[in-house]
Amino acid sequence: MTEKKRPLLDELKKGKWPSFVTEMEKSAETKPVVNSLLNLLERSFEEKRVHWKHGGIVGVRGYGGGVIGRYCDLPEEYPEIAEFHTIRVNQPSGWFYDSKAIRTLCDVWEKHGSGLTNMHGATGDAILLGTTTPHLQDCFNDLSDAGFDLGGSGSNLRTPSACCGPARCEYACFDTLDLCHNITNSYQDELHRPMWPYKFKIKISGCPNDCTSSIARADLSIIGTWRDSIRVNQEAVAEYVDNGLPIKSAVLDYCPTKCISFDKEKKEMNIDNENCTRCMHCISVMPKALRVGKEKGATLLLGGKATIVQSAFLSWVIKPFIKLDKEDNYAELKEIMEKIWEWWDENAKVRERVGELIYRKGMGEFLKATDLEPVPQMVHHPRTNPYFFWYPEDFAAEKEAKDANKEVAGSEVSE
Amino acid sequence: MTNPYYAKTDIGPPNFWNMLPQVIKDNYGNWLYHEKVKPGVLKHVGETGDELFTVRVGSPRLLSIETLRWFADIADKYCDGHLRFTSRHNVEFLLADGTKVDALVDELEAAGWPVGGTGKSLKNLIHTQGWIHCHSAATDASGTVKAVMDDLYDYFKKDDLPAKLKISMACCLNMCGAVHCSDIAFVGVHRKIPTIDDNGVANGCEIPNVVASCPTGAIRPNPKAKSVTINEEKCMYCGNCYSVCPSLSIMDPENDGIAIFVGGKVSNTRKGPEFSKLVIPFIPNEPPRWDSLVAAIRNLVEIWVKNAKKGERYGEWIERIGWEKFFEVANLPFTDKHIDDFTFSVPTFRTTTQFKFTDKK
Amino acid sequence: MADFTPEELRAKILEYLGKKDKAKNRDIATALDTNKKEVDKMVNEMAKEGILEFLYLGTSYVKLKDKE
Repeated sequence: MTEKKRPLLDELKKGKWPSFVTEMEKSAETKPVVNSLLNLLERSFEEKRVHWKHGGIVGVRGYGGGVIGRYCDLPEEYPEIAEFHTIRVNQPSGWFYDSKAIRTLCDVWEKHGSGLTNMHGATGDAILLGTTTPHLQDCFNDLSDAGFDLGGSGSNLRTPSACCGPARCEYACFDTLDLCHNITNSYQDELHRPMWPYKFKIKISGCPNDCTSSIARADLSIIGTWRDSIRVNQEAVAEYVDNGLPIKSAVLDYCPTKCISFDKEKKEMNIDNENCTRCMHCISVMPKALRVGKEKGATLLLGGKATIVQSAFLSWVIKPFIKLDKEDNYAELKEIMEKIWEWWDENAKVRERVGELIYRKGMGEFLKATDLEPVPQMVHHPRTNPYFFWYPEDFAAEKEAKDANKEVAGSEVSE
Repeated sequence: MTNPYYAKTDIGPPNFWNMLPQVIKDNYGNWLYHEKVKPGVLKHVGETGDELFTVRVGSPRLLSIETLRWFADIADKYCDGHLRFTSRHNVEFLLADGTKVDALVDELEAAGWPVGGTGKSLKNLIHTQGWIHCHSAATDASGTVKAVMDDLYDYFKKDDLPAKLKISMACCLNMCGAVHCSDIAFVGVHRKIPTIDDNGVANGCEIPNVVASCPTGAIRPNPKAKSVTINEEKCMYCGNCYSVCPSLSIMDPENDGIAIFVGGKVSNTRKGPEFSKLVIPFIPNEPPRWDSLVAAIRNLVEIWVKNAKKGERYGEWIERIGWEKFFEVANLPFTDKHIDDFTFSVPTFRTTTQFKFTDKK
Repeated sequence: MADFTPEELRAKILEYLGKKDKAKNRDIATALDTNKKEVDKMVNEMAKEGILEFLYLGTSYVKLKDKE
C-alpha cells in the first residue's frame, strides 16, 4: 500500500500539547485500518466536512446500548473503515484503574479493534473507537470474561459517573464511588435495555464544587452537602494569616452571604453557620483550617441538560437534603429515582428529557407524582404571576380544616 | 456465522475498590486536607498522617493502546500500578512515596506528557469527537483543541491565573459534555437550513418525530411528498431534525464554523453555576490550525488575566464590570446575534436604567 | 387494561412486531392495551434470549432479530 501524504494533519503533530495525530500514527504502525482513518480525516480537513453517517443496527446479544454504529459515507474509497463502530465500556467508579486492568482493556482492543480509545468519553465510559460488526460479539465476550461490561447509549439510563470522592478528597460528603457502583449494578436492565422516552443521566459529586459538572449535564444531579457547621481549626486559621493569606480580600469578601467574621486580635474565624449556604469558597481557599460539617448527605437536583430542544437547563433542587447510607442500600434515593422514572416514562413524549417534561407539565404535577414536598429551597423566588392551579383536593382539605375547627369550637362551648 | 458463545451479561463495571492503592484504602473517607506541591502535583494528607501524591498529566483524550500500555508501565514503576483518569481527560498517577514524585514528573515530561492543570491553571480542555468519528460535527474537535492547547500551553503548566480556567469544546449543538457552563466554550454551529431529501424522509423517517424535533416549529409535514417542509424564516439551524432524520442534512462546509461563549461555570462556589454567554457568533473553519479561533481565544484569556481580581472566575469578572464594559474591553462587536430571540429571552433584557455608557471615547 | 400470562404476552409481542419494522415499548403496550412495565420486562427477557434486538434512530426501538 502506498503511503499517502497528509500535510494538513502533519501540522497538528507540531506544538507542545500531546498530539492526537501522533497517537493515531502510533496505532497505525500495527493497525492499517487507522491509516485509512487518518486518510479520511485528512480529507475532512481538506473539505471541511464529516464523512460519517448515522448509526444503524449494531449491538451484542441482549443489549440495546453500549455499541454505537458508525459507517463511513465513502465506503468504496475507504473499505477498511466502511464500518467503524464504537464500544462504550463501563468505567470503574471514579475512573480508578490498576495497570493490569488497563493492559486487559488494551489486549482485548488490540485483538478486536483499531487500538484507538478515548479515556474517557463525556458520559464517563472508556470508549473503544472503531471496529467492525463481526468483531462486536467476540469483543464483548472477551471484555465480559475479563470482568468488564458495557455502558449505556440510546434511550436508557446512561452510565452513571462519580468524582473521586472519599478515595482522595477531604470534601467528600458521602461515598460517591460506592453509590455510583451500587446504582450502576442495581439498574443493569435500565442501563443496557432502552425502554424510556429518551436518555437519563446520573452524575454524582461529593461536594458543592461538583467536579463531575452534574448540575449542568445530568438529569439527576446528586451533590454532597452537610447541614451542621463548618469545622474550624483556629490554630490553622492563625497559621494561614501568619503566612500572609489576605483573609479579608481572599475569603471574607467572597463569602456570598457574608456570614464569616474575623477577629484580628485572636486571629480567629467565626462562621454564622445558620446563614452559610455551603458554597465551599472559604474551605477551598483554606483546606487546612476548614472542613465540611459532620452531618453529611446530599442535595438532589433534577433536570440538567444542554440546549437541544427547547433550552439548556441547570438542574434544580428537588430535595434539599438526603442521607445516603450504604447500610440501607440507598433505599430512600432509589425510591425517589424510581418514582421519577415512572412518571417520566408514563408522560414524556419521544426524546423529551425529564427537565423538559417538568417544564411542560409543571413542578406541581411532578411533586405530586413523586411525593416530594414543596419547599422554598426549590426556587430562587416564588412565582411573580397570579396564574396557579387549584385542585379538588385543595378544597376538600380546606373543608376538612374548617369542619375540624368547628368541632373544636363546639367542644369548647359544651365544656 | 453467529458466534455460539455468549458471555455473561449485566456483570457491571469492575469494582473500584480493587483498583485503589493501599494508601487510599487505609485513608478512605478520612482525608484531612490537601496542598499544592507545585503545578500538576497535589499532596493529600490523611488523619493518620499518611500522604498521597497525585501527578496530573494532560492528555488529548484520544489515546492509542501503545500509550495506555506505557502509562501502565509508568504506574508500575512509580505507583505500584495505580492510576486514574479525571472527568476532564487528564491522567493522574497516584503514589504514597513523595521521594519518587520528581523522577516521575521528569520521565513524563521527557516523553512529552505535560504535568499541570491543578489549582489556578488552565484545565485540560474537554471536547467531543469531531470529524474523527461523529456524523453531526460542524467543526473538528481534536484539531481545534490541539491548536488552542498548543497556544495556551503555558497556562496549563503554571498556576498563577486569577482563578481556574475551564475551556470546553463541542462540535455541534448536541454538546456532549458540560460545554454550556464553561469559562470559555467554543461550539460548532451551522448557519443554513437543512436540505431535504424527500425520498429519504419518506422511506426512513417518522414524520411526527421530525416535526416534534424542531424547537421553533419550522418543520411542517408535506403530505404530497410524504416528507416535510422547512420554514426558512423560523429555522435556527440547531440540527436536531438531522439527529432524528438523516435525510435532512445540515452540513455545509462553506458556512459551518464556530461560536464562542464565555462566563459560565458549574461549581456552586460563591454565586453558583452559570451558563456561558455568546460573545463571538461565528468564526470560520480554518483547518488545520484554526488561526482565527486560536487568536480569538488568546485575546479572551489575556483580557481576563489582565483585568480580573485574584480569585475571580471569568464570569465573576464580567459580572463585576458589566457586559457592556466587557465588549468594550474585549474590543468585540455587539450585534443582533447577541440579543436572545429564542425561548426564554425576555428575562435577559435590561429592565433598569442602570448601565454604563461605552460609546463615548 | 388486558392482563396476559407471560406466555400470552410473549406471543402477543411477537405477533405485533411481526407486523412492524420496529416499535417502541410504549407503542406495544398501547397496542396490546396492557401494562408497559410488563412489556418492558418481557422485551428485555426476549432480548437476552436473542429473539429481539434494539435499534437507535433518534430514540430507541425494538424489533424482531434479523427482520428486515
